[in-house]
Formats: sequence, C-alpha cells, structure tokens
Amino acid sequence: MSLEVINSPIFVTIQDKGRFSYAHIGVTASGVMDEYAYYIANMLLGNSYSENILEIAFSNFQLKANSNTQIAVTGAICEVFINEKPYSSWQTINIKAGDIIKIGKILSGSKVYLGVKEGFKIQKEFGSYSTTIKENLGGLNANRLLKGDILPINEKLTYHKARLKECYIPKYEDTLDLRVILSYQDEFFNKEQIDKFFSSEFTITNEFNRMGCKLSGESIKCNINGIISEGISFGAIQITNDGQPIILLKDRQTIGGYPKIGSVLSIDCFKLAQAKPNTKIRFKLIDIKEAQKKLKEFYNSFN
Amino acid sequence: MKIKVASVDSLIIYFADKIDKDIALKVKNAYNCLRNLNIEGIIEIVPSYTSIFVTYDIFKYDFEEISKVLASSIKQSSTLEDTSKLITIDVYYGVEVGLDLEDISKKTTLSIDEIIKLHSEKIYDVYAIGFLPGFAYLASVDEKIALPRLSSPRKQIPKGSVSIADTQTAVYPQASPGGWNIIGRTAFEFFDKSLESLSPICVADRVKFNPISKEEFLKQGGVL
Repeated sequence: MSLEVINSPIFVTIQDKGRFSYAHIGVTASGVMDEYAYYIANMLLGNSYSENILEIAFSNFQLKANSNTQIAVTGAICEVFINEKPYSSWQTINIKAGDIIKIGKILSGSKVYLGVKEGFKIQKEFGSYSTTIKENLGGLNANRLLKGDILPINEKLTYHKARLKECYIPKYEDTLDLRVILSYQDEFFNKEQIDKFFSSEFTITNEFNRMGCKLSGESIKCNINGIISEGISFGAIQITNDGQPIILLKDRQTIGGYPKIGSVLSIDCFKLAQAKPNTKIRFKLIDIKEAQKKLKEFYNSFN
Repeated sequence: MKIKVASVDSLIIYFADKIDKDIALKVKNAYNCLRNLNIEGIIEIVPSYTSIFVTYDIFKYDFEEISKVLASSIKQSSTLEDTSKLITIDVYYGVEVGLDLEDISKKTTLSIDEIIKLHSEKIYDVYAIGFLPGFAYLASVDEKIALPRLSSPRKQIPKGSVSIADTQTAVYPQASPGGWNIIGRTAFEFFDKSLESLSPICVADRVKFNPISKEEFLKQGGVL
C-alpha cells in the first residue's frame, strides 16, 4: 500500500507544520512554506490539520499508485494529470491502484502541495515529519524524494468528494504587499531609513530558498554594524551590510547576527512562498495587536 | 532587562548589550528558570550570548500579557545556583584533520605544538547553541590564535572538525559548509539522537579540549 516515485524533479520534500521546541539546540523549525495551501489540502481530504504532505518546487513529478487512495493538489496553479487525463487542483481526486499521477508544468505560483488521504505512513523525527536536509532530519531518509522511493499509505476507497470554492483559490500576483511589524533592532534605523524601507519597491532575487528570500532595491542603512548573535523569528527581516533585506523563512538558522528592522507577518510569508524571482515587494506597517488579530483569524478559519 | 517584540508570535528578552561571562550566567539562570516553570503556551526558548528569544501561543497570550509573565518569572530566578558542567572533549590535532593548522602556523609564526597548547589549555564558556543542531559557540580563545574566518568558506567541513573564528571556537557537529579555521577533529557527539536532551551541552557550560593521539582518536570511533 504505497505511492511510488517514478520521476522526481529537483526538489520534493515531505513536510508538515514544522518541528518545535528544539530551537535551543540549534534545530530549525522547518515545515511547509505555504501554510494556507497546506491546511486546505488537509481540509479537503478530511485529514488532521497537522498531517504530512509533499511540497513540490519544480515541474514534472510523477507517482505511481500501488493502492487505492485519494489525493488533493493545492498551492501553485499547475497541470495535474491522472493517467494523462487532466484534473483541477483544489479538490479531492480518487486514485485507483495502477494510476499514474503527474504534476506537469507549474503555471502560476511556485510551490505545489500534494496531500494524500490519512497522510504518508512514515515515522516522525523529534515530533515532526518535516524534512530538513541540512540537518539530516525527518521526511524519508532526511532527503528530498528520489526516483524509486516508496511512500507508504493506507488503502482507502472513498466516495467523499470536496472542492474549494473558487473565491478562496489564491491568485499569485507579480507584486506583493507584505505587512511588517517593526521589532528587534528597529530603534537602530533612523526615521529616514524606515521611511525609505516602507516607500521603496524591492525585487526578489535568485537567492530564494527554504531558508530565506533576499531582496534587492534601495539600500537601507543601520546605525550599527552588527549585533551579538540572537534568536531569529520566522519572517525576520535582516538588513545585511550591503543594505539589502533578507526575509528569513522556515529553514532559517536558529540564531544569527545581522540587524533586523522587523518581521513580516507570517500569513504574508505564506504568500511570499508562492512568489518567484523578479516579483516586486512593498512593505506595509502593521502593529503587533492588529497582526495578532489577523493571525488568529487565519488559524480560526481552519477550525 | 528589556523585553521587545520580535514577530507576531515571538519576543526577545535582552539582558545586556555586551558579551560577558556573568551575563552568560544570568541568561542561563533565566533560561533554566523559564524551562523549569514549563509555562503553558511557550513554544520555543532560545538563549544566546545576551538574550533569550521566546515563541508563544497567541491564542493564550498577547505580547503585553506574556511579557508580564516572563518578567515576573525571571525576577524570582535570581536565587538559582550555577548548574554548569565542565565537559572535556578529546581532540586529535593532526595536520591531516587540522586542515588549517599549517596555514595558521605560518600566519601566527607559532609552531603547531604551540597552537595546540594555546587552544587546549584554556577553559571555554558555552555562549550560544545554533547554526546547526548542537553547534556550540565557545569563547574566548587566546588572542595569539584568534583568526578571522576564511575569505571563502569551504563547501564541506568534515563532521567533528574543531575550529576557530576570531576569538570563538566550536566543533562542527555534522558535515556542513563553513568558513571557520579547522585545527583538529573529535569523535565527541554534539548532537546525539540517543540522548533525551539531544545535546550533551548547554549554554553556560564550560568546555576544555584534551589533545589525544591519532590512535586514541580512531579507537574512540573517530573518522579520518
């Protein structure tokens, strides 16, 4: 009872919400880059909201089903074929033993999520299924999926069908507004620099991976050269010595030493996860109270 | 002590703005206290040189509430004693594993034996753990062997490599890219999945390196 990888592109990993309470010994949180797409996939399948999923970052991923199951594909808009027949994302799809599942071209967005009924039956490591390759933790052999990998699943014949309403399917735009909570070393940036930060347009560079997203644009100056290494949050915006921001994401290092002007609201980091190099970024100020309210609304919508 | 917002669901407690042994102990005391209190809704507690980073459940606390809880908990912690351990780590300082030993010898005009002596006779404090699971930042090395990071980092540093960057020293707990100067190798496990704590080392513990022979290193399971 399994799905078998018959073709794997450069980067497919098993992820879940992430690995928590080990940061004090240097273990990163990891977890899905786009939590919105992740929760929707699990919701459609009737899974627990913390079930594991595949995060697919490039085209042409193929699986062969060795048993009956049900899948849901969410996230980036992409071609989905079952035995060469096209299907839509953001809905459940019944799969029979012998079917070939193919994620073809990615058309808009950048991370595709493929969830399976009741999740993949693998072992958690330190409380999480998430793969962190650089730490040799989690997933299947702590590695990206490779051709020939076997993903164990439960055999499921199901007639339950679900589809996400059109209005909830995200559109992935070429310009993104990211809400920022001023925090950390914000007092070491003078008003003029903070104004520049919020009024400029930045561009996503090629240095964009699970650890972080480097931007280019107006140079932002900090009054201090560096800081004593300290804990880093998801979404923290480091300003490096060349004045360019780096937004730290799920596989960030647990501590670091660059000054930080603030942090991007996590919900907006999920949107950022679907962006591509050359996407334009603008920052908008949000205060902590409003930010917490928005985040609670986000999580409450999945209860 | 100052508490600042870090992100929508995290904050950072600053104890000072300079690196200092007494501050490190204060951080450790506060860290132990917060961990032992087991406050519901606290997700991560990450101590570093002068700060403690905390992630919390926003469904349980807003920033003001959690700040009050943390501040009053830490206040009561001043009576906690020093529970630091001294950990001795055997190191094989041979040239075949100490990839930068010869280069450091040239740069500092010290003999390799002198470099080993300077590195292994000091007791170091653990100031922070991060970068990689079990990567402990130890300080301070003798100024005579304090060397800047390599101008271009190595793509792969072997597991167990003992290294120096400025006045800090550390062991790479697993193979990893990195730019520190490599002077030896140890078979000591800094990230051990069989331990309940996963890492035998904690912030504010003390570390001493003990030079051993290649034979001894291999006997301990060391890999060349």
